[in-house]
Amino acid sequence: MLSAQRFDENPCRPRHFKPPPCAPVVTDGEAHARLELCRQRLVVTAALFAVVFLVVALRLVDVVALSGANAESHVVRIRPVTPPPPDRADILDRNGQLLATTLESPSLYADPRQIIDAEEATRALLTVFPRLDRNDLLAKLTSGKSFVWIKRHLSPTQQYEVNRLGIPGLNFEHEERRIYPFGDLAAHVVGYSSIDNVGLAGVERGLNAVLKRGRQPVQLSIDARVQFVLREELARVVHDFTAKGAAGIVMDARTGEVVAMVSLPDFDPNHPGMVDPATPPGEAREQIFNKITLGDYELGSVFKIFNTAMALDSGVATMTSQYDASKPIHIGRFTITDYHGKHRWLSVPELFMYSSNIASARMAVAAGAARQKAFLARLGLLKPASFQIEEVSKPHFPSVWREVNVMTIAFGHGIAVSPLQCVTAVAAIVNGGMLRPPTLLKLSPDQVPAGERVVSEKTSTQMRKLMRLVVEYGTAKKAEAPGYVVGGKTGTAEKNAGGHYLDKKLLSSFIGAFPMNDPRYVMLTLVDEPHGTKESYGYATAGWTVAPATSRIIQRIAPLLGVAPQDENSPAVKDALAIASLQGKRIESY
Amino acid sequence: MNRLGIAFWLVLAAGTGAAMFGVKYTVQNLDDELARVRKQTVAEQLELRVLNAEWTYLTQPERLAELNRQFLSLAPITIKQLQHTIAELPMRPPPPEEPVVAAAPAPPQPLPAASGELAATPVSLRSDEPAAPAMARAATGPAVPRAAPAPAARASRALDALFAQIAGDR
Repeated sequence: MLSAQRFDENPCRPRHFKPPPCAPVVTDGEAHARLELCRQRLVVTAALFAVVFLVVALRLVDVVALSGANAESHVVRIRPVTPPPPDRADILDRNGQLLATTLESPSLYADPRQIIDAEEATRALLTVFPRLDRNDLLAKLTSGKSFVWIKRHLSPTQQYEVNRLGIPGLNFEHEERRIYPFGDLAAHVVGYSSIDNVGLAGVERGLNAVLKRGRQPVQLSIDARVQFVLREELARVVHDFTAKGAAGIVMDARTGEVVAMVSLPDFDPNHPGMVDPATPPGEAREQIFNKITLGDYELGSVFKIFNTAMALDSGVATMTSQYDASKPIHIGRFTITDYHGKHRWLSVPELFMYSSNIASARMAVAAGAARQKAFLARLGLLKPASFQIEEVSKPHFPSVWREVNVMTIAFGHGIAVSPLQCVTAVAAIVNGGMLRPPTLLKLSPDQVPAGERVVSEKTSTQMRKLMRLVVEYGTAKKAEAPGYVVGGKTGTAEKNAGGHYLDKKLLSSFIGAFPMNDPRYVMLTLVDEPHGTKESYGYATAGWTVAPATSRIIQRIAPLLGVAPQDENSPAVKDALAIASLQGKRIESY
Repeated sequence: MNRLGIAFWLVLAAGTGAAMFGVKYTVQNLDDELARVRKQTVAEQLELRVLNAEWTYLTQPERLAELNRQFLSLAPITIKQLQHTIAELPMRPPPPEEPVVAAAPAPPQPLPAASGELAATPVSLRSDEPAAPAMARAATGPAVPRAAPAPAARASRALDALFAQIAGDR
């Protein structure tokens, strides 16, 4: 056919020439079959190609014109842009303030063989790092090695300055460093971590696993503002009473969240190993020591809260029960006396308000050793606290619970617990009787544990009234913060050293709650070895040292914590805290 | 026809090719830009971390307290400043009741149209008030200033009580 056409259209063909008509090629049977087979194969191949091209075309139309039905899914598959997660998650306070973070902190090294003018480079580097030794640096830069460290862990500003110098041969090695922007503010809470990013103390150690794997920051229950107020006021107490140290904790009575926790002296977690050369040896240990969780103290009269609650809750005593406090108790080699002696029979509110050791001991004996031990165990005072901080002390208590132990434990001697355990137990007693474990993690309302009932609602209400009485008329009048209906109990214990009590070495503590008609926060403050001053008339007892500090702290933190002041004389508050047996009676001051 | 067809297909093929390359290069540029933006975002996020740490460092409570001592002398909130909530604020004194107006001695006088218009303005502002007494008050003319001191005195008494409470003389 092709040849026929060519002849046909050839303009130079002779006019007379007519190509012979194409005669159909008649093939014989075998050839015909072969041709037919080839044709069929061609058709099939063409059809396949056509189908494939059709699919491609349809898909093109789909993608371009109809923008693809499932194009969105490809967009979703694009991962979000995030910086490479730091080695360790951040730690935030309850308001989102940064307590610990990990920053890129490049380290500067030099390749001395590339340094053109070592003298000039040294001079320039000293402008950025004035504390580097000039001769040392010059020796390093002229050493002819290929790698020398100049300085580890630069701040971002220093890195910028070095870059600006523009010296060839200086390079940065990427490293990360843990930063505690608030310094020593929450040192004992946050703790610190090693240069290899392993937590060594505080939350850094307790939540090491979470921090290491977590991309999400860990939010603590600590409120940095409250923490600051607590720390400042405790530092003032230490200064005013030339004390060895002090500690304080503020806990949400309803949830068990620790809002602030301070132990003085403290340290700067940015340089945990470095001690100020001015501090005497031994001080460093003291600084690292967390008095709140690791300290175990005989807290003294503060324990009368537990003793009285135990007696009231078990029905051994009622608010009108009377106990003989007319003369000291002699038992074994001990003599139990009263600091604020009344030398008469005292009712339960009176023994609590005047902090009578004698009457408390008699009340405890009436309840018995088994009941006392079981009650303290129920409050979690006989086993180490479970907490996000691992450094917790093991409480000390007698292995054999004899009558003399029953008596001394009634007023907080012969048993040593950590302030954390104590404040947790008091929170349970005033919040309506539900014990919730202490926590350093911020809890949302639905995360608050239901708690475990340790005393009845009725006992809790009675204890609130008694604690309010102590501040209204008793040993802690100076803890009153107008409008916040403070209640609490003071404790002044002599420190126990090697089995005997040191008369002049006191541990004064105050545990308080506010507002007492419906406690929101419980706080414990203690001061270690305070010395009386002229202003305190030589007293170093809790009523003169930590009680006034508590008042100042509450007045400053209550507005921050959203506790509305109330009128103490309003009928609602008065009714909630009135003690029926004392109504109409003149209450003697202690 | 045949040639036209060939030309058409050629143009179409060339056009498609050109468009494809165009799209390809656009995508490549977008890809480059995306990578650049991603890199920049990461750098800026890292910078944010630094700035956040720096901001926290600069807002250490201790430092703020010191700055406050130097420049502002702000004191902690005292209980006196917290004694009242918004709900406890006294309401605006109620509008004077009719007897006050009725007691005004001056008899109603016919007013010029202009002053009548002026007097009518408060009516539109206080739509909750019946229009008639307002008109009546306006209509009393010179008597209005004498009737006014009553609510004003009541308001200042309420304020006095509030101030007294705030000052703590309760």
